[in-house]
Amino acid sequence: MTRRAKVLMLVLLVVLAGSVLYLHVLARRVSFQPSLQHGEEVARTRLSEAALQPATSPQQMATLYFPSYEQGLLREEKRQIAWAETDTDRIRQVLLALMEGSHQGYSRALPPSTAIRAVFLAPDGTAYLDFSTQTLADLRPGILSECLVVYSVVNSLAANLPAVKKVKILVEGQEVDTLDGHADLSDVFVPDPARILPAS
Amino acid sequence: MLFWPTRALRSDSFVIYMPAARSVIPLETIDQVKYLPLISVLNAVGKVDALQEKRDSLKIWFGEAVIELRLDDRKVQVNKTRLTLAQPVRRPRGQWLVPVDFLTAALPHVTHETVEYQVGTNRIFIGDVKPTSFTVRLDQTATGARVTVQFTDKVTIHTAASNGKWYLYLGPRPIEPLEQTFRFQDPYVSEIQFDDQDGVPKLILTPTVSGLNFYPTLAEGGKVLLADVLKPPPVAPPQPAAGREPVTAAAPAVPAPPAGPPLPAVVLDAAHGGSDTGARGRDGALEKDVVALLVARVRLALLATGKYRVVLTRVGDVNLAFEPRESAANLHHPRAFLSFHAGDLGTTTPRVVVYSYQASLPPGPGDNPEPPPLLVPWTKVYRTHLDQSRQLAQALQQKLAQIPGVTADQPGGAPARALRSVNAPAVAIEIGSLTPDADSGVLTDSNFQQQLASAIAAGLQAWQGGSPER
Repeated sequence: MTRRAKVLMLVLLVVLAGSVLYLHVLARRVSFQPSLQHGEEVARTRLSEAALQPATSPQQMATLYFPSYEQGLLREEKRQIAWAETDTDRIRQVLLALMEGSHQGYSRALPPSTAIRAVFLAPDGTAYLDFSTQTLADLRPGILSECLVVYSVVNSLAANLPAVKKVKILVEGQEVDTLDGHADLSDVFVPDPARILPAS
Repeated sequence: MLFWPTRALRSDSFVIYMPAARSVIPLETIDQVKYLPLISVLNAVGKVDALQEKRDSLKIWFGEAVIELRLDDRKVQVNKTRLTLAQPVRRPRGQWLVPVDFLTAALPHVTHETVEYQVGTNRIFIGDVKPTSFTVRLDQTATGARVTVQFTDKVTIHTAASNGKWYLYLGPRPIEPLEQTFRFQDPYVSEIQFDDQDGVPKLILTPTVSGLNFYPTLAEGGKVLLADVLKPPPVAPPQPAAGREPVTAAAPAVPAPPAGPPLPAVVLDAAHGGSDTGARGRDGALEKDVVALLVARVRLALLATGKYRVVLTRVGDVNLAFEPRESAANLHHPRAFLSFHAGDLGTTTPRVVVYSYQASLPPGPGDNPEPPPLLVPWTKVYRTHLDQSRQLAQALQQKLAQIPGVTADQPGGAPARALRSVNAPAVAIEIGSLTPDADSGVLTDSNFQQQLASAIAAGLQAWQGGSPER
């Protein structure tokens, strides 16, 4: 093999090694770049886990409101919850408890398939709840039913979180006209004690 | 004055008569072919036990029968029998539709009952139903014309006048006319039309000119209807025979618009429509169809009072957002706005709830200034009529509560979007329960809907009677 051939061979080997190294780095970049959707799912999962994990604080009594269609009002149910550290996680805990359903056989407020995309608590006390469209798909449309669902959420949040004064419901990050064709969601909701069935 | 064409009365619906019941099914026309919603038809004649829906096929268990259909296919299989329909099965907006000849081709295999259907009509008789029929004759008299209707069986009549026409309701028996419409070249009566598209058989007489009086009576034990159409004498009103009060005594039989201001408008809003089906019952009934039928009945009940003109926000099965509904309502400056819904009201059924608008955010101290501002945002216009809306809800509830077997809750407040931007006293009427957990048969029952319609008309009149003239 001539000297020129040896030099050419060496150059080719260096180029090949460099290419392999570059491809390896590129592959690592691709595999570690999460998609936007994947990122949202991870964030939501992490938030749910944070809300569901047993907190270091002791369990405290929480007040939840579930629909009673016969009376057209909400029924109160007490439940022990180990509250999370932050208010947004506590909001999520209340919503998860409502999704779990009543332990006393009352009607369900939020369907188990409810997906909470995001929760914010603004300084003025407005809790922004961002639901997925899947939540709407599994609701039962109607004036009474949608009204009970909304006030189940609003009254339950206000009963357990003094910081929550108002609730604004969003769907897929957007303001929507109605929950499912009936309940007007254009404005914020304030808790309405008149919607709660008085204790007998 | 608005003139409502008769074709609006003959809305797109199909009546199924059975020995002990009747059902009104919405009819859909696709490419000039009449189609019926399959699940509604089957639930009208029996009960769907189960169904299995795939992308292009549907399998239904109905009693002992199993029905299999394929999308865009004319072939239908009932148990082992393979049948061919005149037109293919369709599925617009997720609803399985079959051509009308399904009733004669397949239904006898499913129900094992005789099916009597006259091609081209919108009614069918299933089982041991013996419909009454009739002939019509028109004769000239010295002072007008006499309509003689000879029935094959006894009927009862209840008369009403509205929008220049006379309505003769013929009682509960099913009727099959030899002809749907009788037209005359006559100076007094131009047309007699049979209509039962809301499940209530009736004759509609259209006079040729305005200013005539109408005196109907039954003879021969109820088998003959004699109706005199008379020109009123120039000075003194005609003296009818004893027991024959002119319809004008109760309501204006004069077809021309009454002198003075036009009748107040009542806007009826059938919720949802088109691809927006609203709530759904276990038997496939859709909120958009249930409320459309109810609105048609309420409209007739209100027109029969002779005190209102009726405006519909939705005509037909079309998608309609809230804004065009509100615009249509506000354009007419209505006396009242009634929005009709059907939804999940729990396990108690039938049940009715009447709502006025209640904002999700109560008004603050500065939100109700005195005097009221000249300009009110559309999103807050409900506040202008809140007291009257609550009074209207109360009046309607009181009448609805008188219907036997119906639970009518105390009227409530709800953030019902349909009421928010209506510049009139406005209420929403929700019937139920329309939910996947329960059959909705009672909600589409013609008797139930007729009772609701009558109660709503009575409630509206009672409310107006108790409130100052607006």
